[in-house]
Amino acid sequence: MADKKSVGHAYNIDFLNVVFAASSLFLFVTVVWMVWDDFDREWKDYQRRFVALESEVTQLNLLAAREGVDEQRLEELRSGRAAAEQVLASSQRQVDELDDQLAEIEADLYLANQDYNFQKADYDVARYAFEEHLTEHPEDAAEERPAIDAMYDRWIELGLEVETLTAQRDAVRAQRSEFTSGVSDADAAIGEMTAETTRLEERVAVLEVDLINDYLLNAPLLDFMAPSLTVQQTITENVVDDVNFVRVRKLDRCTTCHLAIDREGYEAYPQPFRTHPNPDTYVGSASPHTLATTGCTVCHEGMGQSIGFVHSSHTPTGEEQTHAWEDRYGWEEPHLWDYPMLPTNMTEASCGKCHQETVYVPEAATLNMAYGLYERAGCYACHKTVGFEDLRRPGPNLTKIRSKLTPDWVSTWIRDPRAVKESTWMPRVWYNSNTSSPEDAKRNEAEIDAAVAYLFANSEDHEFAVSAPPGGNAERGEALVSAVGCLACHIAEGQTRLEAGPRRTFGQPLQNIGNKTSYEWLFDWVRDPKHFSSDTYMPDLRLTDQEVADVATYLVGLTGPAGRTAEATYDDAYLEEVLFDYVSSILPTAEARALVDDMSVDEQRLDLGQRVIGRYGCYSCHEIAGFGDTQPIGIELSEEGSKLLPRLDFAFVHDIPHTKVEWFKQKMRDPRAFDRSRVLQPLEELRMPDFGISDEEATLFAIAISSFQSNVQPLAAHVPRSARHDALQAGRNLVRRRNCIGCHEIEADGGDYVALLDDPSLAPPLLTPEGAKVKPEWLYAFFQAPIPIRPWLDVRMPTFGLDDGHWNTVLEYFAAISETVGPFRTDDPVTVAQLPAEGRELFELLRCQQCHVLDTIPADQPTDNLAPDLRMASERLQPEWILEWLREPLAIQPGTRMPMLWTELPNSFYPQFGQDGERQMEVIRDYLLTLRGGPSPLRAGN
Amino acid sequence: MDLIKDSINLFADPRLFFVLSVVALVALIWKREIFVRSAVGYGLMGVLAVFFVFGLFDENFALIIGKPDNVPIVALIFLVVFFTWYSMREAVRNDQRSAAGEEIIEKQESDRVWVWPDLVYTELIALILCSAILVVWSIGLEAPIEQPANPANTPNPSKAPWYFLGLQEMLVYFDPWLAGVVLPSLIIVGLMAIPYIDTNPKGNGYYTFNERKAEITLFLFGFVVLWTSLIVLGTFLRGPNWNFFGPFELWDIHKLEALTNVQLSEYVWVRGLGQALPENILLRESVGILITIAYVAVLPVALAKTALKRYYTKLGAARFYVTVMLFLMMLSLPLKMFTRWVLNLKYIVSIPEYFLNI
Repeated sequence: MADKKSVGHAYNIDFLNVVFAASSLFLFVTVVWMVWDDFDREWKDYQRRFVALESEVTQLNLLAAREGVDEQRLEELRSGRAAAEQVLASSQRQVDELDDQLAEIEADLYLANQDYNFQKADYDVARYAFEEHLTEHPEDAAEERPAIDAMYDRWIELGLEVETLTAQRDAVRAQRSEFTSGVSDADAAIGEMTAETTRLEERVAVLEVDLINDYLLNAPLLDFMAPSLTVQQTITENVVDDVNFVRVRKLDRCTTCHLAIDREGYEAYPQPFRTHPNPDTYVGSASPHTLATTGCTVCHEGMGQSIGFVHSSHTPTGEEQTHAWEDRYGWEEPHLWDYPMLPTNMTEASCGKCHQETVYVPEAATLNMAYGLYERAGCYACHKTVGFEDLRRPGPNLTKIRSKLTPDWVSTWIRDPRAVKESTWMPRVWYNSNTSSPEDAKRNEAEIDAAVAYLFANSEDHEFAVSAPPGGNAERGEALVSAVGCLACHIAEGQTRLEAGPRRTFGQPLQNIGNKTSYEWLFDWVRDPKHFSSDTYMPDLRLTDQEVADVATYLVGLTGPAGRTAEATYDDAYLEEVLFDYVSSILPTAEARALVDDMSVDEQRLDLGQRVIGRYGCYSCHEIAGFGDTQPIGIELSEEGSKLLPRLDFAFVHDIPHTKVEWFKQKMRDPRAFDRSRVLQPLEELRMPDFGISDEEATLFAIAISSFQSNVQPLAAHVPRSARHDALQAGRNLVRRRNCIGCHEIEADGGDYVALLDDPSLAPPLLTPEGAKVKPEWLYAFFQAPIPIRPWLDVRMPTFGLDDGHWNTVLEYFAAISETVGPFRTDDPVTVAQLPAEGRELFELLRCQQCHVLDTIPADQPTDNLAPDLRMASERLQPEWILEWLREPLAIQPGTRMPMLWTELPNSFYPQFGQDGERQMEVIRDYLLTLRGGPSPLRAGN
Repeated sequence: MDLIKDSINLFADPRLFFVLSVVALVALIWKREIFVRSAVGYGLMGVLAVFFVFGLFDENFALIIGKPDNVPIVALIFLVVFFTWYSMREAVRNDQRSAAGEEIIEKQESDRVWVWPDLVYTELIALILCSAILVVWSIGLEAPIEQPANPANTPNPSKAPWYFLGLQEMLVYFDPWLAGVVLPSLIIVGLMAIPYIDTNPKGNGYYTFNERKAEITLFLFGFVVLWTSLIVLGTFLRGPNWNFFGPFELWDIHKLEALTNVQLSEYVWVRGLGQALPENILLRESVGILITIAYVAVLPVALAKTALKRYYTKLGAARFYVTVMLFLMMLSLPLKMFTRWVLNLKYIVSIPEYFLNI
């Protein structure tokens, strides 16, 4: 050991040298690693791969473009150019001389220009100094003035010099071009022909791998200068991110990898390089949602700032994709971002952020279907939802239940509605996943009996309009039901709800209706639905009493399964216990006991019935005596889509991914699932009824619910409000809420009834062009009292009995679709006297009445060739529209049999009026407008 | 396997955890000759390593241990155990030498070395290694961008930075003004006061235990048991709703804990005397106030006169009272924890009317 006082080494220095060397090396390696880690990004690989892909696609395009070039013409131009060059060569000496002159002048001009600009700069400085001096010391400034003015004069002089030199140069250039024009003209012509191929060739050259551009500029540590691989981003003009304290413009970097999203030609390539599937509506520069204004994540959700696959929180669609992503990208459930990307089949849910309070968004078929289901299931009745307020209760009125149903049938029905009618929207309140045990069965039966007892005890009487209805014929009835249009709203056969869709389940399915109610009631109902229920949506089909009897006879014969029978029995004491449970949940125990003890068994049953109906919210969907304006039982869903994940209680359900979408789906598939493994008192249990939702339906409901979002996006992002917008919105909602689109196609949606017909020409008409086509006063009268337009059709327009407010909404809606000027228009009646004689001749020549009714229905024509009575035109049709129709019928109504008679406009095949097609169409139109005496709804009321 | 996990979960209960920590500390000091054996030291590190490796196979454990924020705490466990063991070993060696009349180890070493290369060179190496480790660490454990902060949706559990988790744990037992203001201030003041209180030159520049028994024991109790283990506990064992979760337990947000704590005044008046709480606040809290006064005012004087008479004469009045106050304050945490566990005692003095709870 060293002496205590001497200076020594604490460590072996040789050893320290080794440690130092090793740790330095370690640091070096980690720094290299750090640089590499910073350099090596997922998105750069995508960009590199895209360069190769773009090169391939561009070369293909180039080949195609070359095919399009007229080689022969090009060769001609090239030889012409060669000839012109020879001519130029012969006068090369003069051209050289002119070039020399030009060079000299240009040098002078350059200098003169510089002098001129410098003089201006000096003058501006001196002028400012003088102005300043003049303000501060006006007394002695005057003497400086001449110097300033001299500078200005000098500047003007220099300007003149520039002008002179420019003129000289232009003169020489003109001289020169006299010699060279042959060649340059040929160049221009060739350039014009090969513009596209040249552009593509240049692009291919740019895309070719290049040492400097592709390697050096993108190399680690050098890529800060001008790399070709860069992050692409869009800062959206209109849409914002809500970062809780402030709203900021969205910053979407998705295009860093999705490089071809707005480019044509990449539709068939795999992601991330595929073109957007709907560039006309999204992303495309001419679409209403361009990349620059809308970006990506306002619709798709996810973290737009991120440029990593996992961090940007992509969400897979389906299990297969989940596993593929886990293997490929190390994907895991995104939990660090509140709004992960929507699965691609649910993206339309985001439309609701800006397209609010409407149940129809153009181009969003899935969302429209989802809203259709949401309404059909009556979700809004229990769950308040903005945009779905003030609607009629979705279920039938139960205040007159005694005249319609028997208590036994009602018990069987509510015990399990789908066991009676498999396609019904009526949900199952009892015997669900949390109430299916044998103990539950007893309670279920007690509650069912009590609810039924309450309904019947509180039923009013109903007097049938016809006390002794005539008998009918079931076969004729069946034919009527399938002919007059009942099946547009009702399904009779064993179709599922999803197959039938929301429009054909608008009314109750007719399955098993014979077991449900009596012949007398059915007769009364079909004869005049409003007689039984004044606010029903079921319209009047104007059947004769005999036809009604036939239909009722047919319906009463539709029987099916008996349904589910009672699964337990109970005694009066048990009933009392159940009632006590209910009462003691709102009253102190002793009081509750006293209250219950004071009642007779019947009173107890009725009291329990009222409480049961109140607990399960039956009154939200059905009008039930004693419930008036009681608040619905569900939570409000107006902003459910914006709800954050931690607000959703998964309880002990661990077998589904803990995401919002999966929670919604699980809730729809089994609304009581989140009670699983929980120990709860009966009144604490979840009570949302079970609608028997399939996986596919669950996804649609999840889309509808996810579309109800808090209002974050600024007004600039919404569709601009206008009278037309409001009319469209109100109309779109109305034609869906009254199921007009069950029969009629409007705005490329609906018309489900057509699919039920063998011959589409016998379908209710397309109504998209109705606003431009029909006069509003005629249409209004038609709505009030429909007349047959095409008498050979079996299906008929019902009488809806809507009020004027609703009819005006429809009229304004049609006007808004067609963008008409408004209801009032100049309409000069045409008289027969004004018509040129040739008009009649042309009309005969065109043989319109071969297909069109003109008083009589043309004989010997199949029904799909027949067309409406021409005598209705003057009252019914808009004169301008007739011209449009004659011009190109197929553009207005695809599939129409109406031929296009003027194929050579403005000329014509027909000799009249000097073969002037336009004039001929006008005359034909005028001729039609002189016809009188057709059927009319306007005169019917007079 | 599940049995092992369940029993570990059981031992992680804060009561057992704390009691075991104290027992371990006592055992460590009492049987320090055994503790400082190489086999024990390396064995401890080995057991810890096996525990973590074994734990990583458990989904819930791996999730919590592997969280980038928590990785330093794992390192902290190893470092604290190692350095406690190492310093204790050096101290025991020196004590054995002194007992045998030999010179202590530090005395034998040269007490002067060259600034260059011994100091500067080793500092440079340390610098390089730290930089390299930080680089590797930051590459290996990425800091993710999370969702925008939302006052309406705070994370559950909301945890303080790791170095404040000891304080956050105190919030379970004390009112915020005590756990968040008074006690942390006292810790800082106490640390600043140490050079002026502890004027004993023994143990300066060398390891020893026997010469500084009380001081080292107190320090180990305060730092290892109270501070470090509360950080470990707060990091790994406190889950949603600040509930307790064993290391292998799922952090289920639905887990509940019955909060059935009782005020001292309720013990005295309602349960003891069988009457309603008096209206008068001072009367109501009189027992608690008396106990508090006794703890902070009477107890130090009593100690000076009796058990710690020797220290009193050695340190002088001022030093003695400051020291005892600091010690009593430190001791108040385990005392409060103990009363909570054993008696469900919520507060000794509780005057919510004036936001005063002790």
